[in-house]
Amino acid sequence: MNLVDIITAKPVLIGIHLGFAILAIDAFLWLLGEMRRTPWQLRHLRLTAFIGVLAYAISWLAGGYYYVKFYGTLVKPIIKASEAPWVHNIVMETKEHIFLFIIPLAVTAALIAWLKEEDWRALNIRRPSLILVGFVSGLGLLIGLMGFIISASARWGGGA
Amino acid sequence: MNKPKLIYASALSATLTAVFVTVITIVAELNPALKDWLKNLSGHHWTSKSWLSIVFYILVLGVIYALARNVDARKVGVSLKLAIWSAVLGTIALLLFYTAHNFGWL
Repeated sequence: MNLVDIITAKPVLIGIHLGFAILAIDAFLWLLGEMRRTPWQLRHLRLTAFIGVLAYAISWLAGGYYYVKFYGTLVKPIIKASEAPWVHNIVMETKEHIFLFIIPLAVTAALIAWLKEEDWRALNIRRPSLILVGFVSGLGLLIGLMGFIISASARWGGGA
Repeated sequence: MNKPKLIYASALSATLTAVFVTVITIVAELNPALKDWLKNLSGHHWTSKSWLSIVFYILVLGVIYALARNVDARKVGVSLKLAIWSAVLGTIALLLFYTAHNFGWL
């Protein structure tokens, strides 16, 4: 078994998808705290913003690969045959598409972290900046909750 | 590189990307020909939407950055609010659409 086989194994993919999503959510929450500090610590701001965007991108790639390669053949049929087919029809369908909102929003939030503090204050965008950074974390949490519902439904539908 | 203008362009492009993803997703569910086209493009409709959304975001960001003039503080603030609201409304629209689709209302 080589490295690619290990990384693309089902439980490893789920672990990468979930683990990096948690890292991204935490990074943006940390960025929110850093933005509220005075004075700004530019190195902290930029590092947390960079980690957040990168972690969301990795989570997206791993989750996307799992979804395309395994979900449709292994998980979806169990949920569709269960007592809660709506979990796929509503929750999964919504989750897979709202994930596509995240990267552009995360990049936009990260770009704010590349401003100098005096420029940020001169632009008078403190409130929308903080809301955006918080929203990028919140949307990740919502998607995580949806993932939990899907996962629980698959186990329940499978009788486990 | 004009950083406020880049933030403005990115926020507006993120807004239009959310609209693009929401519209193409709903229209493709109601129009099998479009969904088949998306499937044939990359082998899976979601993969195609993923690539299209990223290409769309980068292209629109570049166009807005190149064309935007007189980007002031007010415009940057409005663009950030639009980015947030487009994602909120896109999420609600997709959730309502798939709920209606599940129960056969559409």
